[in-house]
Amino acid sequence: MSAEKKSIYPDKPELQFENKRKFTNKREPLVDRENRKTVGQPTVENPRMSCLNVNVYYGDKQAIHDVTLDIGRNEVIAMIGPSGCGKSTFLRCLNRMNDTIDFCRLTGTILLDGKNIYDKDVDVVPLRAQVGMVFQKPNPFPKSIYENVAYGPKIHGLVQNRAETDEIVETSLRKAGLWEEVKDRLNQPGTSLSGGQQQRLCIARTIAVGPEVILMDEPCSALDPIATARIEDLIDELRENFSIAIVTHSMQQASRVSQRTAYFHLGDLIEVGSTDQVFLNPLHQLTEDYVTGRFG
Amino acid sequence: MDANMNPTMLLFTILLLSVMGFIMGRKRSYAVANQVGGMSNLHSRPTYYGSLTALWCAIPTLIIFSFWLLFESRIITDLVIATLPDQLQNLPADRLNLIVNDIRNMVNGNIVSSEPNPSMLAAAEHYRKLNSLSHASLTVIVIAVAIGAILVIQKTIHPKLRARNHVEQVIKYILIACSTIAIFTTIGIVLSVLYEAIRFFRIVPLSEFLTGLEWSPQMAIRADQVGSSGSFGVIPVFMGTMLISAIAMCVSVPIGLMSAIYLSEYANRTFRSVAKPLLEILAGIPTVVYGFFAALTVAPMIRNSGGVLGLDVSSESALAAGLVMGIMIIPFVSSLSDDVINAVPQSLRDGAYALGATQSETIRHVVIPAALPGIVGSVLLAVSRAIGETMIVVMAAGMSANLTLNPLKTVTTVTVQIVALLVGDQEFDSPKTLAAFALGLMLFVVTLILNVIALVVVRKYREQYE
Repeated sequence: MSAEKKSIYPDKPELQFENKRKFTNKREPLVDRENRKTVGQPTVENPRMSCLNVNVYYGDKQAIHDVTLDIGRNEVIAMIGPSGCGKSTFLRCLNRMNDTIDFCRLTGTILLDGKNIYDKDVDVVPLRAQVGMVFQKPNPFPKSIYENVAYGPKIHGLVQNRAETDEIVETSLRKAGLWEEVKDRLNQPGTSLSGGQQQRLCIARTIAVGPEVILMDEPCSALDPIATARIEDLIDELRENFSIAIVTHSMQQASRVSQRTAYFHLGDLIEVGSTDQVFLNPLHQLTEDYVTGRFG
Repeated sequence: MDANMNPTMLLFTILLLSVMGFIMGRKRSYAVANQVGGMSNLHSRPTYYGSLTALWCAIPTLIIFSFWLLFESRIITDLVIATLPDQLQNLPADRLNLIVNDIRNMVNGNIVSSEPNPSMLAAAEHYRKLNSLSHASLTVIVIAVAIGAILVIQKTIHPKLRARNHVEQVIKYILIACSTIAIFTTIGIVLSVLYEAIRFFRIVPLSEFLTGLEWSPQMAIRADQVGSSGSFGVIPVFMGTMLISAIAMCVSVPIGLMSAIYLSEYANRTFRSVAKPLLEILAGIPTVVYGFFAALTVAPMIRNSGGVLGLDVSSESALAAGLVMGIMIIPFVSSLSDDVINAVPQSLRDGAYALGATQSETIRHVVIPAALPGIVGSVLLAVSRAIGETMIVVMAAGMSANLTLNPLKTVTTVTVQIVALLVGDQEFDSPKTLAAFALGLMLFVVTLILNVIALVVVRKYREQYE
């Protein structure tokens, strides 16, 4: 068999594929694509959360292999990688959302401010107030806009009376950049908003309980470019007060909003580094293939 | 061929001819295709040419066949009556009816009620002749039409004949016909009930029926009979239905809803796969079984325990019937509610969990409100089931129409009264019997309204999440 892969466009030289099995000698350090050890710098100084040797299993299948990664303070860390690479699974481990799946099992340590969140004495209820989450599809509750935001503070007992609730609803909606658009119709159902507004409502709802970390699982994948731009601006503003971990399929989005980027591949954390470095000067061949669009 | 086929044989022949038509049509299409150079020149696949032939053979003949059988007996009877002697023809309608029945019995070789006289024997002979003539001509016509249809279609089969479009068109009309049968049956039932109810309302005014506080339908049938004049106030009967349905809903809604919540939110897959079918078996128990369970087990139990507490419980109490009916409709509530709770998107639950809500908070504040329209729909369907339920109340609730809200007393329901009014020898023009139709109409209207509300509510829910 020929070592050279035949192109499907033999007459177009710019579309000829090089044989990816060969190592390129372009830069140092050279990394074997079969080598799945994380390259780059997974740890930061004074992290908000730090994950050590995390393995996740769905039944017999291992979904995450030995991931070590820190989430710093006041930073946005983007997690990228092809579908099924475990980035969403990893994100959901950070606030123990995977607890709701019976056959999901985790080993390793995830520290939040130095405390292992998988310790026996940790209650998921306050944990999830500290580590909030925004989902791929906007999922406002079947309640009014006001109630959607007030719900979290109410169940956590953060508010005592109507005035406090009003205040927390207004601040959260302002922080989420939604206040001006909805202040006259707080009693309308949350589902009456547009997709982008619903997603900002979900962000406001998450902010309202005063988390330290916000996890975002492809928050813009159901939105149009204009709504996406608004959410991205918002993420940048929120960085001042929160640590944000965002999973995204859009590499442009990752490069626009994040300071650090982690590249996952088939359950392995392949490369972590500053976003500029990962996109402009990746260390690992797999990362380079992905960010340059050779697959994924 | 035996010209005097009986209808079953004839039906079988039609079927056979259609199959033959199918085979011949298919063969013919191959033949015409080969003439013009291969199958690719044929408009439709050969099966469609076969089906077209078979349909044109079967449908007209079946229509002729069914109309013939529908009107045959009446036409022959009229013809026979016309030949009867004048003194018989001039008898009143009911007597004449008897004689015609006798003639028919003679024809069929059954026992006749009166001594046969020569004119009746002649009539019977005439009847027999006409009957066999009719069957013979039906056979000839049907077979002729079938064969004619096959031959005509054979002639028309041509590579350009759009057989597939024709067949699909015909099948569409057959489907339309089937669905209209269901609709027309419903309309027919409504109209017949409405007609009888209007006859009742001519005797007892609608206002008296709807506002009367006393129900005692016993009335004198003959002029010389001693009896009450009858009063037809529907309120006590309707109150009985409402009371028993309310008790049933008090049992079934909490139990059904909570089991639905457990099954859909807490139970693991194994338990759910066992428990859900078991719960649905409750819906499969015949209501008459529930009926004697209510009458023989539950009612005495309630009376005895009431006696211990010093309460006066009648042996047929609304409570017994309502409790058992409640058990019966648990699966309606639980199964439908379980479905709508499962239909609540997982993303909503995730959203609540991610805010730090506990499982019970998530269920109470997010899942149930989201599923509420569907749950309301299932409860309304259960209510209309409870209102229309007959067997349990017939056996356990009693007959006397007390206007009471005390569940320990005996009450009666609309369905029980309908059964009571129509069972036994009745005259179909006395208000007593006609009252059953008025009650039936009222029941129909109430359950129809409930069903419409339930459907609207359920539909609104669907629009929200799909």
